[in-house]
Amino acid sequence: MERLLVLRNQRNARRFHCRAGMRLLVALICCGLTAAAQNSTQQKASKPFSIPATHLVGFENPKSNCSGTLSIQDDSLQFQQTGKSGAQIKIGSVRDIFLGEESRQVGGLPLTLGEAAAPYGGGRVVSLFAHKKYDTLTLEYVDADEGIHGAIFQLTKGHGVLIKNELIAEGVTITSRKDQSTKESAAEATHENK
Amino acid sequence: MKTSKCGLSIAFVNALVAVVLALPGMLPGQTAATKSSGGDGISATRWSVQVDQVDHGNLELAYSFQIAIYENLVEELKKTKQFQQVFRGGDQKASEVPNLLVLKTTVEKYTPGSETRRAVTTVSGATKLTVRSQLVTREGKVVLERTVNGEVRFFGSNIRATHNLARNIAKAIKQSSWTEVDQPAATLTGQL
Repeated sequence: MERLLVLRNQRNARRFHCRAGMRLLVALICCGLTAAAQNSTQQKASKPFSIPATHLVGFENPKSNCSGTLSIQDDSLQFQQTGKSGAQIKIGSVRDIFLGEESRQVGGLPLTLGEAAAPYGGGRVVSLFAHKKYDTLTLEYVDADEGIHGAIFQLTKGHGVLIKNELIAEGVTITSRKDQSTKESAAEATHENK
Repeated sequence: MKTSKCGLSIAFVNALVAVVLALPGMLPGQTAATKSSGGDGISATRWSVQVDQVDHGNLELAYSFQIAIYENLVEELKKTKQFQQVFRGGDQKASEVPNLLVLKTTVEKYTPGSETRRAVTTVSGATKLTVRSQLVTREGKVVLERTVNGEVRFFGSNIRATHNLARNIAKAIKQSSWTEVDQPAATLTGQL
């Protein structure tokens, strides 16, 4: 009889330990999952959005037609020229964003010179194929004295929408005009078809 | 016979030199009538200028072009050193300045070009812009009015036309004697 009682007590103690262990395990898994989720959210929040861009006009420090990286970090839009100091503006100062599309010749001056030097008008044939379509991002923003500034960036096709959406997500409102990408591309297409 | 030929050639060379010396003062495309308005612009330094945003009128001009004209204008006007200060549109500090002129730019004509067409054909695909620029006092009196062109014909992107245009506007302002701002009939009109 006593043996039976001891055996029961032992079984109960094992069950108790087993349940406690299970509960602890479940609690640990939950904690781990929550921590992982928090971590990923924090990473997502702190990870800056950046894309390669060419500064055409507007920002004061970088020169025209210089390549670099356009990024959104915290509350500012930054253009970092490759290997040089960057320029930044507060996202809150941006009044309007416009997207456009433009076709430009690739290869720069070396290709242009090569085309000019090619005999029998061969350069013209090369010119027919040596162009690429780009997105243009035009920003209108104000400085501390409410003076209006504008900046134009040339982006790889498709990147314009990405940065525009990112800026809108950061709180920029498009107020005055509609995008002119369709108009511009239509005008360009009509002109090229003539 | 020989001496007369020699004299003739000397006279021809002299005439050529005279023409070459007389030409640099003239802007390309500037008419003789507008040349008469040329001045040193030294007294202009007591004035400040505020550059207004570009008015596209009824034309479908890409907004990037309007911004590019505006930004290039600010840069080019600063380069001329004709004005004490160059303010941007909307700048609150401009209201405190006593002698302020406002530069208004209205697009009159725009021909969209194509860089590819320029490269392939050479003769077509030029991007052309024609604007009317006015320097206006606070009271609304027009002290200078010019029609200026900017274009890119051979090399360069379409947006380069805006840089050329801004440079031509700054050049036109620099070479004009608009300093007779106190006189009522000082409006000058010309074309570059």
